[in-house]
Amino acid sequence: MKPMAGKIFFTAVSVLYPFIVFGGIKLWGLSPRRISLVLLSLAFYYFLIFTRSKTGSDRGRNAVLALLVLACAVVAFVADNIFFVKFYPVLVNLSLLAFFGWTLWKPPSFAFRMANLADKNLKNSASYNAVERYCKKVTIVWCCFFIFNSIVAALTVFIGSDTVWSLYNGLIAYILVGLIFAIEYLVRKMVQSKMQSYVPVCDLELNSRPAGALVSFDAGDSSANKTWGDFVSDVSKVRYYIEARENVPWILHCEDSYYFTVSLLAMLQSGRKALVTANRQEAFIKEIKKPEYGFLTDEPFSASGDATCTATLIQDVLNCAENAGELKFGKFDKSAAKMVMYTSGTTGEPKAVAKLFLQFENELFELVKVFGDDWLNRKVYSTVNHHHIYGLLFTALLPIATGLPFRRHRIDFPVELFSLADTSAVVASSPAFLKRLSLETDRPAGFRKFKFAPIIYSSGGPLPEDVARKANEITGFWPMEIYGSTETGGIAYRQSKNGPVWTPFEVCKMSVAEDGCLNIKSSYILEAEGFTTGDLVDLYDNGRFLLKGRSDSIVKIEEKRISLPEVESRLKQTGLVADVRVVPMVGKRQYLAAAIVLNAAGRKQFEGATKLSINNYFHDFLLKFIENTVSPKKWRYLEELPQNTEGKIRMRDIQALFNLAESPNFKILKFRKEPGVWTGKVVFPASSDYYDGHFPEFKLLPAVAQVDMVLRFARNFLDVPKNITKIHRTKFASPILPDVPVTVKITYDAKSAKVTFSYTKAAEAMGDGEKLLSSGSITMIPETKNPEGAKNA
Amino acid sequence: MSDLNNRIKEVIIESLELEDITPADIVDSAPIFGKNEKGEGLGLDSIDALELGIAIKDKFGVSFSSAKEETKKHFASVDALAAYITEHSEG
Repeated sequence: MKPMAGKIFFTAVSVLYPFIVFGGIKLWGLSPRRISLVLLSLAFYYFLIFTRSKTGSDRGRNAVLALLVLACAVVAFVADNIFFVKFYPVLVNLSLLAFFGWTLWKPPSFAFRMANLADKNLKNSASYNAVERYCKKVTIVWCCFFIFNSIVAALTVFIGSDTVWSLYNGLIAYILVGLIFAIEYLVRKMVQSKMQSYVPVCDLELNSRPAGALVSFDAGDSSANKTWGDFVSDVSKVRYYIEARENVPWILHCEDSYYFTVSLLAMLQSGRKALVTANRQEAFIKEIKKPEYGFLTDEPFSASGDATCTATLIQDVLNCAENAGELKFGKFDKSAAKMVMYTSGTTGEPKAVAKLFLQFENELFELVKVFGDDWLNRKVYSTVNHHHIYGLLFTALLPIATGLPFRRHRIDFPVELFSLADTSAVVASSPAFLKRLSLETDRPAGFRKFKFAPIIYSSGGPLPEDVARKANEITGFWPMEIYGSTETGGIAYRQSKNGPVWTPFEVCKMSVAEDGCLNIKSSYILEAEGFTTGDLVDLYDNGRFLLKGRSDSIVKIEEKRISLPEVESRLKQTGLVADVRVVPMVGKRQYLAAAIVLNAAGRKQFEGATKLSINNYFHDFLLKFIENTVSPKKWRYLEELPQNTEGKIRMRDIQALFNLAESPNFKILKFRKEPGVWTGKVVFPASSDYYDGHFPEFKLLPAVAQVDMVLRFARNFLDVPKNITKIHRTKFASPILPDVPVTVKITYDAKSAKVTFSYTKAAEAMGDGEKLLSSGSITMIPETKNPEGAKNA
Repeated sequence: MSDLNNRIKEVIIESLELEDITPADIVDSAPIFGKNEKGEGLGLDSIDALELGIAIKDKFGVSFSSAKEETKKHFASVDALAAYITEHSEG
């Protein structure tokens, strides 16, 4: 007999066994001894399978089954007793139970092995992990069934008649098996429909989603809703517009996430390179835009003095009938679609980073695989800018790829987050926002608690654990941090409640570069050698890692190496410091400088102390641990450290603070620097020289001192030229008094060389807002930016 | 406080670009580099020493011997420095 035919024959015998036995007894009047020969042949069959089994577990299982079946057959034969003949179905069930149970113990589970055989592409699917979990459950259900069936089969042996035994084991049991298959099939369909319908962005087509499916929405304004039908038609219009023009590439900036996503997809599908910029300051656009470039945006833009520097408003494109027509929407080549992103510039000037869409697509796939199951039926909200990589991925591309609706406008204020209490939401956020959320004490009327904990992601910098804990207290979700950069995309994730160690995304291969920095290779980093970050790392055997600070945080001060984070953590060790940044400075010599925010204990300890004595306290403390040369030489005590709009503390802002020499005449309590704008909280002590010569009994800050301070701040923080042409429109409405903190806001418009300033003061009565003390503007003489020419002169 | 001592203190502050410190904050007898057991002293480091050496030489026209121990003694305090300058300056 050929092996295949034998297999079919014995399977049939095994399946039909209850009927063969029944027929043998009832119809043909065979003795149990004769019937036991069938069992004996089955035992022989299992023995054959045993000899051919390859894996240890298979061999063991078949050996045990063969032995047990053989034992039953022998006993039945010798004793000529039908009881042991009928035991066969129980043995088969127990054997199956053992096998299924074994695969639960040693995954992959049986059902998942079958699923992988049935679908060879499963391992490349974004829902791989979800399928695996589902199959495990199915396997458990089968195990439960085998336990039940073994018990019932045994009962029919012990107490059932021959008819009951054959009816149950030959018919009912099979019907039950069929029922389980049917129910499992229905459940699987239901689960699949609930699973994220992930479609790679480059594979999206007209009918990828139902026309009525919600794509985008806005707070409390259902007229702003956009469906898949709207989306497809809008992308098509933008495609008609840009394909009819020769402009290449296109600069893209849209505040509205919907317009942004429409424009980006149109550019990708039309094969137009997209330059995605968060900065749409006139000067920056002028710098990057060549005449042949297009510029698509959703807010009016004009550049004075440059007729070629214009923008197209997306609203005009969508309203223009010329761009309607047969819908243009479909797949594009992800390996050919090009983009440029600009870094936010934590460590230096913003830098352009070229990207292929392939990189984003590969990363999306990874994100869906790891986080996708948690997003079911949620809506996507954002507190971050979608022009940077993290916002782009989480709040524009992911929703489009997974079919989750996203909000068109960012959440700007922490208090707004409470309006999501009854919504199941995914929130892409940042440490800056969550920090402010943790300090937010206002609750909107009617707010009790979050009914559905939002899933909060945080990226852009480390999220302090106390902030994460507070966010968890407020929302019920401990924020999931994503570690990555514009150059690398997402690298790893963590929830700090589980410790500070990062878990890399599966496709990221980690190693340590020569300088101790983390190197990553992944499917979304194109360079074969991977990308080496500036982050120092401790890498563990399982691929997980701990970040130890930036490598540029190790500096040399007069030939001595020192880690800035080390000095910072030593200062925090005093227990008097809430926040601190230490920066390297170069003057006549190299030295370190420390900007410190004292905590409550620190403020109490140093109340009324001179600045010199506070400096000495910290200096003496540090000398226990580090050499004098690398101990900070200059100190500033602030109310808070300066953050930019992305919530990052930039080294150069702190350095600028130290470039302005400390003076007994004024003190900067805190400040913030944005492009072209400097805002500082400043106090002028009663001891200040500026009050001299005016009214000794009633000291107030003279106008000339106010203007002089504006110029000093402007020159130091905003790179304003030295010389003045004209001071105009200056009003001094209210006096600035000694020791009363005031807010100085200075803006500098490089084009008109004009400095505008205002001094304001928080009004005494609560809720009165600010009181304007003085304001005005000054025109500077622009400096010729031609050092070569100056040399020749 | 002698005039010379005061001038030395001003030179120290100016040449080393010290912040938050006035001549009145500097104790005449306290160490310039490091601190004494009373915790007094400017706590300057070896790089400051090089810088200060040049500044004193420029302002007061005195030079220092290359013997390290010797020089160190002259820089022990403002008083010591003043004594050295008085002794070695021409007139």
